This record gives sequence, C-alpha cells and structure tokens, in this order.
Amino acid sequence: MAVKKLSQKKDPQIKIFCDLSKCVACKTCELACAVEHSQSKDLERALSETTRPKKRVAVSAVGERALSIHCQHCQEAPCVSACMSGAMQKDPASGATIQDKDKCVGCWMCVMVCPFGAIVRDIENHIAVKCDLCPDRDDYACVAACPTGALFSGTKEEFEKKLKEKKVKK
Amino acid sequence: MNYLIIGGSAAGVSAAETLRKHDKKASITLVSDESLPLYSRCLLTYLIAGVISEEKLHFKNKDFYQANAIKTYLGKKALTIDRKKKTVNLEGKTTLSYDRLLLATGALAKTMDLPGSDKKSVFTVRNIGDARGIIAMLDKIKTAVVLGGGLIGLRDAYALALKQKKVAVVVKSPHVLSQMIDADSAGIIAQQLMAHGIEILTGVEASAITGADSVEAVALDNGQTFDCQMVIVGKGVNPNMSLAESSQIKTEEGIVVNEFLQTSDEHIFAAGDVAQTYDITRGSYRINALWPCAVEQGEVAALNMLGKNRAYDGSLAMNSVDFFGLSCISMGITKAQKEEGYEILSKTRGTLYKKILLKENRIVGMVFLDDVKAAGVVSALIRYKVDISSIKTLLLEDNFDYAKIMPLIARFREKFSQEEFQDTMISYIPRITASPLC
Repeated sequence: MAVKKLSQKKDPQIKIFCDLSKCVACKTCELACAVEHSQSKDLERALSETTRPKKRVAVSAVGERALSIHCQHCQEAPCVSACMSGAMQKDPASGATIQDKDKCVGCWMCVMVCPFGAIVRDIENHIAVKCDLCPDRDDYACVAACPTGALFSGTKEEFEKKLKEKKVKK
Repeated sequence: MNYLIIGGSAAGVSAAETLRKHDKKASITLVSDESLPLYSRCLLTYLIAGVISEEKLHFKNKDFYQANAIKTYLGKKALTIDRKKKTVNLEGKTTLSYDRLLLATGALAKTMDLPGSDKKSVFTVRNIGDARGIIAMLDKIKTAVVLGGGLIGLRDAYALALKQKKVAVVVKSPHVLSQMIDADSAGIIAQQLMAHGIEILTGVEASAITGADSVEAVALDNGQTFDCQMVIVGKGVNPNMSLAESSQIKTEEGIVVNEFLQTSDEHIFAAGDVAQTYDITRGSYRINALWPCAVEQGEVAALNMLGKNRAYDGSLAMNSVDFFGLSCISMGITKAQKEEGYEILSKTRGTLYKKILLKENRIVGMVFLDDVKAAGVVSALIRYKVDISSIKTLLLEDNFDYAKIMPLIARFREKFSQEEFQDTMISYIPRITASPLC
C-alpha cells in the first residue's frame, strides 16, 4: 500500500500561513490550486478537462477581512483517526497529512471531523480531496500565485518575524 | 511491561500502535477471533456493493503487526481471564500473561428470533465471513428484504441496491434512522432511497421468514408478505461482553470504565464498541459504537496502560452517510424538543436540510443534509462547548465556515488550545476596520 506522491517537503516546521491584513479575497490561490491539481496544469486546458480540477484551498470572509484556509496538517489529525479505510495517514517524515486516493471510498468521515472544514468532497469521483502540499513542485502553487504576498510558507517564527517587520515599516 | 490486547479492529489496533509508539521495548500481544487481519468492517457494505475489492479492506499496511513487533494470535477466541494470575486463556489451550490488558472485544450483530431465521440466506453483516456469504449468493438472487431501518440496515440495503437487487427495508420505527436523526431529515433520506427503487416500509415488523430450505418470503405483522431470496438482519449491534462478564468485570450497557478507560480491575482497560464511555453532549456514560470513537479510545486506553494518566475527553456521537450522492452528517443530540429547554435552528431548501440544537448557547447537536462542508467546524464548537451567541445567525448560512468562528477562537483562546488553531490566528486582530471584501 505505497502512498503515491509523497510530499517532497520534508520539514514539518514549514507551514503555509495567511496574513489577514494582506488578503484581499481575490481567490487567485483557489484558481492556482485547482490548476495545479488538473491533469494539464494549465488554466486554459484545465477548463476543458472531463473531470474539472478541484481546489483544496478556500477564501472566506473574517469579519471585514479575508482568509485563505487549507489543511493545517494537524499533528494529531482528527481526519486520520476518523478514516475507516486507512486512506488518511500521517507521513512520519514530513508530518504531513497525506491521503491515499485509491483507498478513499467517499464516506466523508474526514469532512465530519475536520475543524478547519479543509477537506472537500469531490462528488464526481466520490473521494475526499485536500491540500497535498503540491507534490509535483518545489514550492506551493497558492503561495507562488498570491499577488499580495498574503500567503507565506515558512516556519511560524519566520511568519511572525515578517508580520513584525511590516508593522515597523508602517 | 507485558501488554495484551483482545480484539483486532479499530480500538485494538489503535491501542497496539500507540503502545509501540511510546514503548519500543514492551512485549505487545494481540488476540483476535478473526483470521483475516486488519480489515475495516465499516467497508464491508462497500465490498458487497462491489465498490472495492477485498484487497482494499485493509486499514493498515499488511505488515503492520510485523513492522511494530506485535505478536498476534489470529482466529483464536479468548475464553477466560484469570485476574489473580493475570492470565488469559485462549481456545486451543494457550495461556497468555499480562501486566496490562485491554478489552477491545467490539460488538456482535443483533439477531432476530423469528420463525425461519435459521434458514440459509438469512444474514447479518458484521464480519468478512458474512460479507463473503452474501457476495457468493448475489448472482442467484433478485430481491432481498432488509430488517432494520437504522444506519446498518440502510447501508446493507444500499449495497444490495447498487448491485441492482430489488430491496425492501422493514422499519419498526415510524421513520428510518430513528436513532440517528429527526423525522424531517430522515424523510428526505427515505425519499432519496425510494427514488432509487428501494422500498421502505415503516411502522411494521417481520413476523416470520418462510420458505423450504432457503428463504422464499418475509411475512410482516401487518399481514403483508414480501417474496425474496435473501434476508439481511440489520438491526444494529450489541457489545460483546461475555469475556468481561465471565471474569466479573463490572458491566452495565457496556463494560464500565472510568475517565482513564480503566475497568473495575485496575490492570484491565476497555475501549471501542464494548466500552461504556463518557458522552460529551449527553453528559453521561454510554456506548458510541463508532469507528472514530474506537480509534480515539484505543489510543487513550493505551496511554493509560503506559501509565501516562491521560483522561478521555469523551466521545461525540457522530455519523456520516451518503446514499446515491445525498450526504448526511449528524452529531450529538438530534431529536430533542424545544420544551426540553433546547433552542432549535433549522433551514430547509429542497434536499438541503440543516438543523442545530443549542442549550444555553452551546451547540449540542446537529444534522446537515446535502450541504455538509461545515460539519467539521461545527464539531469543534460542540467538542469545546463554545458559547456561540455572537455567531448564531451565521451557523446555518451557506457560507458558514472556519473563518466565521475565528472571532470565537480569539475570545476563547484557552478552549482552542490545539496548536493548529493558533497558527491561523497569528495575523488576526479583532475588529479589523477595513472595507468589506467578501
């Protein structure tokens, strides 16, 4: 039962963060995510693919600001405990929460327990889909595409430092 | 330390994994009366339906026991416990000793004592043998009757319907899924099943199964008869407590445990479908025979067997079903009335149905049908008993999601102690004043 496309990103300290003060809800991350998970990885061609590519990141309003949210790859992941088919697993090396699509039967137990609402039902294929940390590229499609720099990949400390620097500039 | 686990499904395996994770040297032994290792019984109806093959029944790698150095006795029933000597006797005259013992003996399918229920082609669906028996007969049958309109009965019926069998479900209660959800949402699900050709008969019971050698018909207590070649009894499960009872371990509805999942014998723990554990929304001890609860309990029991004193937060009754593309997720208390002091929020639109039950501004139960994407967010609000008054009007909205609970996370930081919540809050400033964006 080899898990396909194991994330190459092996540092469990590195996460994707969203700076709420910079997110303008343009949804570029959603588009980039869907394209990255298409067969062609090309927006124009992806639109004509028979199964439409699915985004695994969502932009939503927080009061009067916006947030781009995706799987947080929880250390104690409720989706892994809830998964009755063994599809959801923790990658011991990277700490990522990974999914073996071949094992998923679309029971939605993971959807039921994810406190971030970060697992999406792919109704066409009847499987759950979620952030897989872009295994086919070295960076992350959503972060690379974000036009305002709201999305950031790095350690928590690096993100906090970045926020502080910004305050000083102001 | 010498750890012994009786039971090789969700709770037993989760416990074995946790024990090994924290103690590389301990002796860990697991006994199961089933020969096929590491299969997920929740997937059996998917197997019957032909959605998956037997190869995909495994919820852990096939070399799991070997890789974790867990000694197994598979296909062996544990017969008695000698609590003084701290040993367990298995069939075939094997005696195993333990320092800490986990009873994860699970549950057994409820059977019906009906005239004719001993006929061939009367089944329950609990283990791999049952599923194989049904699959072997599928080519020979055209119609089947399922007795029981709960979660198990409906899943059995759904599997047979996917195999193009004509199925009738006999439901004693006034509506399907009566233990799980309210009449309104159950009505929508029944409509969905009927629209796909499954017949649902409510308020009736089977009185006899007729036929010569094998099943020919089911007679109902309202005088009707249904011709069929197969009967599945899908009435739910009973905890498998015989081992605990025969060794005078305290039992009620299930094996009685304290907050550390310890039984009346301090060296013996219990987890999963056999354990009567604290229920978060009801505030009392009961059995929640559910996969996620069993996994959690197996882990917590193991931590306590290791001496780590980890109290169990309690289980949240939760279910997810999907019939012909219509999803339903329910949690906690789903059927209480206003008169009992519950506030009820609800919304219906076609097959979309949402209901949230509140007590003192805390969510204690929910049913979401069709649009289930925010169910997990609600589960966190239930689990952490958060006062939701400030976001009450948003809960049933189509755009309700994690972002909408961030003000609550900021306010009740101590309840959302899990690191990942805090990671999303780093740049959050309460009452950010800027122009509305979306």
